[in-house]
Amino acid sequence: MLKKSRNLRSMLYFVGPALLFYTLFMLIPTIGGMFYSITDWNGLNRNYSFVGFANFVEALTDDPDFINALLFTLKYVVVMVILQNVLALLLAVFIESRTRFKGFFRTIFFMPNMISLIISAFMWTFVFTQVLPQLAEKTALLFLDQSWIGDPKFSFFSIVIVSLWNGVGYMMIIYLAGLQGVPQSLKEAAVIDGANPVQTFRHITLPMISHAITICFFLTLNGAFKVFEVVFGLTGGGPGRSTQVITMNIYEEAFSNNFRYGYASAKSVILFIIILLVTLIQIRVTKRNEVEA
Amino acid sequence: MKKSWKVTASAMMTVLLLAGCGSNSGASNGSTNAETGGKGSEKTVTLKMFIGLPRFKDQFDQYIDKFVAKEKAEKNIDVKVQLEMPNSDNASQILKTRLASNDAPDIFSIHAINEIPSFYKAGYLEDLTSQPFVGKLLDSVKPSVTIDNKVVAVPLESVSWGYLYNKKIFSDLKLTPPTTLSEMKTLVETLKKNNITPFELAYKESWIPQLFLPLSVGAQIQTGNKDFIERMNKNEGSFAEMKSMFDIIDLVNANGTNKALEVGGDDGAAAFANGKAAMWVQGPWYAETIQKANPDIDFGVAPLPLSDNPDQTLINLGASTSLVVSPTSKNKDVALDFINFVLDDKESSGFYESLKFNPVATIHNYKSYPWVDDATVYVKEGKAYRDPSIPQAVKDEVGKGLQSYFSKQLSQDDVIKALDKAWKDYNKVNK
Repeated sequence: MLKKSRNLRSMLYFVGPALLFYTLFMLIPTIGGMFYSITDWNGLNRNYSFVGFANFVEALTDDPDFINALLFTLKYVVVMVILQNVLALLLAVFIESRTRFKGFFRTIFFMPNMISLIISAFMWTFVFTQVLPQLAEKTALLFLDQSWIGDPKFSFFSIVIVSLWNGVGYMMIIYLAGLQGVPQSLKEAAVIDGANPVQTFRHITLPMISHAITICFFLTLNGAFKVFEVVFGLTGGGPGRSTQVITMNIYEEAFSNNFRYGYASAKSVILFIIILLVTLIQIRVTKRNEVEA
Repeated sequence: MKKSWKVTASAMMTVLLLAGCGSNSGASNGSTNAETGGKGSEKTVTLKMFIGLPRFKDQFDQYIDKFVAKEKAEKNIDVKVQLEMPNSDNASQILKTRLASNDAPDIFSIHAINEIPSFYKAGYLEDLTSQPFVGKLLDSVKPSVTIDNKVVAVPLESVSWGYLYNKKIFSDLKLTPPTTLSEMKTLVETLKKNNITPFELAYKESWIPQLFLPLSVGAQIQTGNKDFIERMNKNEGSFAEMKSMFDIIDLVNANGTNKALEVGGDDGAAAFANGKAAMWVQGPWYAETIQKANPDIDFGVAPLPLSDNPDQTLINLGASTSLVVSPTSKNKDVALDFINFVLDDKESSGFYESLKFNPVATIHNYKSYPWVDDATVYVKEGKAYRDPSIPQAVKDEVGKGLQSYFSKQLSQDDVIKALDKAWKDYNKVNK
């Protein structure tokens, strides 16, 4: 009993500082948000009343903008999770296969990740509105002269391009670490058994880096659901609401429309539940496929 | 199992502890703020001000110094002013947090048309009707700061606007601002014949297309549909009554600059300043940016024609940033003194001039800018209306709606339906 409590105490010493800030800045606001989600507080009035689950019902049944934002976010999530992981893995394999300039390429591809997302969004706004049209004028690449940000058909691609440019580097580093952890002996054994490079990759490398895949899928999935800065910086959700993602819909509800804090909190709780469910399923599935060396 | 339970329990305890700390510190804050060391005749008062106009910090500092000197001389009160000037983007956010945590500044700034109704309803505004400054307010400005027949704020910024036009292009082609929609159409044709783009379009930020709404709704309310706002607030009206606003919107959209949805306000101002287009549906609050882009530009303000009825071609007149007093202020006397000092007979005129604001009171006698004079001519002729009190949610909606309308994703009826819904939602939330 004594030993147990000492263990507990030393554990608290270690996690204490982090736990303190986590509780203060994450846990308490989260619980507060969940509490407000069942009220009709507008952020200003001193008194508010409890409305039960009315906010949730309204969000899911009577708010087409929210549903559209949800669908748009889902579309973004699917495209991003696939592209970001495929591209990151390709880059990682490409860099790992080089013997020279490894560090150079690694740095180059990782660099965009060090720029804050909102700044890269503004940089790319300039590229999309000024550079590309000029480029189209000077060269014959006329297809570049599009309304990249203003036209809802293209703005989705603009958003994806910028997010990929910014996000692929980070995943690439994780995959690189995974690739470097694949034992050389296994690959050699496969080669001796007569496997071609594709077969080696499919049956040795991929299973051996499955833990990296789990992490990367988790990170991309989680990040894509919560996307905000890129869209905010590039299109502001516009034109109209054609590129409005779910976080932006929540932001608009809370801070610029009717200041329905309670309703906006309910929407964020819905987003939280969606992310929780999806990532739980994802971790279950990918964990099952993991193998140890 | 037991262990994990303990961990959870201790985590819970920490949470509770922390929560306790939080509320404690809040309370102690409140008491220190109320510090008013009164000793004999010499009184020290701390006055907290919250004004969301950081670009005018110098002017306010100077003016507050004058106020402090005056208060010391006349009432022997030592006033310490804590002036806080957050960026206007998040000022209202910070202010709301303060108010919600019972830490209201003694004097704070809000937007007259957009924010007075909700703040008034929540009980955050002191009734200023009996203050001496009220008598000095111009009749055209007074309604903007009046609610329920009570004056609740002293206006700082006020604007009269319609659209901006490039006076050089107009005089070169011997054109004058049109008074009806058909005249506007002829003018557009003339401009196009001379290879000049009639309108600057900058629709990237949704508040710019939004400007059509106050312009057209305000003018239509003034010329007949008087009770539109009241009926909308009672869920009895519809924007279908305002459908004719699309006449002018279509005309502007069809004869504007390219790639409108990629041009932001500042880019638009630069393009307009350099003569890329002859007109811009925009207010003179962009004057500074426009002049920075081209110091030689000569531009004016004119009312936007909506129909072939020249009486509907009116200037929009409204107050925006205004100062109010918190009813919970511990030093209300001093706060009221300051509010009156803002419209002081001697000092106020110079203050407003240094801020480049329009005159709002009879005591203001400085010379204003040409575009202000342009608009004032219309205002004096009675060709103006008070900026209609449209809920912010509806204004946001119309901005987005008109963006979508411009990119042909929504029809006119879709926009109207979305606006009606936005206003109904607003009513539901603010019943």
